[in-house]
Amino acid sequence: MLEVVAQTTFRWDFIWDSRWIFFQGVKLTMAIALVSFALSSALGLLVAVLRMSKNRIVQPLIASYVNVFRAIPLLVFILFVYYGVAIQFNLNASAIQAGVLALTLQYSAWLGEIFRSGIQAVPHGQREASLSLGMSRVQTFFRVVIPQAARIVIPPTGNMFIGMIKDSSLVYIIGVAELLRVSNRLANRTFRYFEVYLATVLIYLALTMAVYFIVKYLEKRYAPLDVLTAPARSWWSPTAKRRANRLRQLQHEVLAAKGIHSEGIPAEDTADIESLELSPPETINDDERSTHS
Amino acid sequence: MSLRQIHKSFGTNHVLKGIDLPIHQGQHIVVFGPSGSGKSTLLRTINLLEPPDAGSICFEGKEYGPSMDGENLQRGKPRELRQQVGMVFQQFNLFPHLTALENVTLGLRRVKSVDRKEAELLGATYLDKVGLLDKIGAFPSMLSGGQQQRVAIARALVMEPRVMLFDEPTSALDPELVGEVLYVMRALAESGMTMVVVTHEMGFAKEAGDLNIFMDDGVIVEQGGREIFTDAQEERTRTFIKAIL
Repeated sequence: MLEVVAQTTFRWDFIWDSRWIFFQGVKLTMAIALVSFALSSALGLLVAVLRMSKNRIVQPLIASYVNVFRAIPLLVFILFVYYGVAIQFNLNASAIQAGVLALTLQYSAWLGEIFRSGIQAVPHGQREASLSLGMSRVQTFFRVVIPQAARIVIPPTGNMFIGMIKDSSLVYIIGVAELLRVSNRLANRTFRYFEVYLATVLIYLALTMAVYFIVKYLEKRYAPLDVLTAPARSWWSPTAKRRANRLRQLQHEVLAAKGIHSEGIPAEDTADIESLELSPPETINDDERSTHS
Repeated sequence: MSLRQIHKSFGTNHVLKGIDLPIHQGQHIVVFGPSGSGKSTLLRTINLLEPPDAGSICFEGKEYGPSMDGENLQRGKPRELRQQVGMVFQQFNLFPHLTALENVTLGLRRVKSVDRKEAELLGATYLDKVGLLDKIGAFPSMLSGGQQQRVAIARALVMEPRVMLFDEPTSALDPELVGEVLYVMRALAESGMTMVVVTHEMGFAKEAGDLNIFMDDGVIVEQGGREIFTDAQEERTRTFIKAIL
C-alpha cells in the first residue's frame, strides 16, 4: 500500500537538479531552429524570386522544387538525408548538419511560397508610382515592394518559426542531443516519465510563446502611427520622441522660411484650402511658357 | 514635347490608333472621353509606363519608345524621361509603409541623391504648399482621400518635373473632397506648369484647359479650346458633352 502511494507521488526536485541538462538541450534546439530558419529564409527568398521568373525552364523547375519538398513527411526526409545519403555515401556529415539541411530544404519551400504571396500582394500601382518618380526597377523592388511585402509576411513567417522550433525536435531520431533527446534520456534513466515530459512540454511552450510575443511586438512596431503624435502613446520610447521633435523642428523651419513664427502647430487638421498658396516651381519662368519643349 | 503616331495594343485590342499630340510648355491639356477610349493609356504612354508598340515620344531633343522610320534622333532611357515627368494616379498610390514626408522625399533621396536634411526641408516645404504641413508625420492610411491625393501631388512636384500628368485624379474621391484637390490643381495650372489631365471634371476643363481633347475608340475625335464645350463640330463630341454636363 505504501509503495503504491510512493509511486504515484510526483517528485520535482530532480527536475530542478537536472536543469543544466535541459538547458543544454534548449541551447541546441534553439541553435538548430535559428540556423535552419535563417538559411531557409534566405533560400526561400531566392525560391520566391525565381518562382516568379518568366523563364520557361527556371519557373517550372522551382515549382517542382516547392511541391516535392512540401510533399515529403519531415521525419522521413530527416532519416533519408542522414542515413540514406550522409551515412550511406560516407559524406562525413554530422547528424546536426544533416538535420539542419533537411529542415532548411523543407522550410525553404514553405517560406518561398509565403514570400511569393507577400510580394504579389503588393499592388501593381505601387511599382508604377515608384517607376514614375524615376526610380529603377531594383530600387523599386528593394525600397517599395520588399518593405511592404515584409510587413505582410510577418505573421505567417512567425508561425513558420514556431513550427521550426517544434519540428526541430524530430532530429532526435538521428541522435542529435537537442531538448527532446536529453529529456528522453533523462526519463528513461529515472523512470519519471510524467515529470520529465511535462517539463519538456512546458519548455517548448515557453519557447513558442516567446516567439509569439516577439511577432506581436514586430507587428506593433511597424503599425502606422503618426510620428508627431506617437510619443503620447509610447512615452517610454526615446526614438519616437526624437523623430517627433525632428519633424516639429522641420515644421518650424518651413514656417520660418515663410516669415511665420509660431509656437507650434495645432494638432487638428489645419488644412485650409482658402489660404493655400502654390508657388511656381523654379524651373518654369514666363519666357519659357510659350516655347516648345 | 511631342507624341507622334502612337500605337498601342493589349492583345488583339487596339487601344491607341496613331495619336499625334504636341505638348507645349505651360500648356494645360485636358483629355476626356468615354471609358475604354484609350485616354488613360495615352497618358501612361507619355512617361512610358505603357511602352507604345509604335510611334515616338520626343522630349528635350531625345527620343523615346520605338522610333519613326528614316529618323536618327538621340535615344533616351525611360528613367531619364520619368525624372522630368511627374504623375498623379487615380488611386493615389502613396507608399503605405512611409510617412507623408518620407513619401515625398523618397524620390529626392534615391533618384536625385539629395542628402537627408535638405530633402526633408524641401519635402516639408512642398507638403506645406499643398496645405499639409501638420500631416508630415502621418501615414497614408490616416489621411483622407483628398489629403492623400495632395500628398501624391507634392510627391510628384518635389522632383521639379517639366510636365505633370494627372490620371483621373478626383475619380476615386468622395464628392466633398474633390474641391481641395481641384484647388491645388488650379493653383498649379496658374503657376504655369505644363499639365496633361485626364478627367471628367468639366468645370476644371472649362476653367484651366487650354486644349481640350475628346478621345473615342483610340483616336482623337476633336480638339479645341473652351469653345469645344459649347460649339463642338463632331456629333460624337456633342453627344458625350451633353451626357456628362
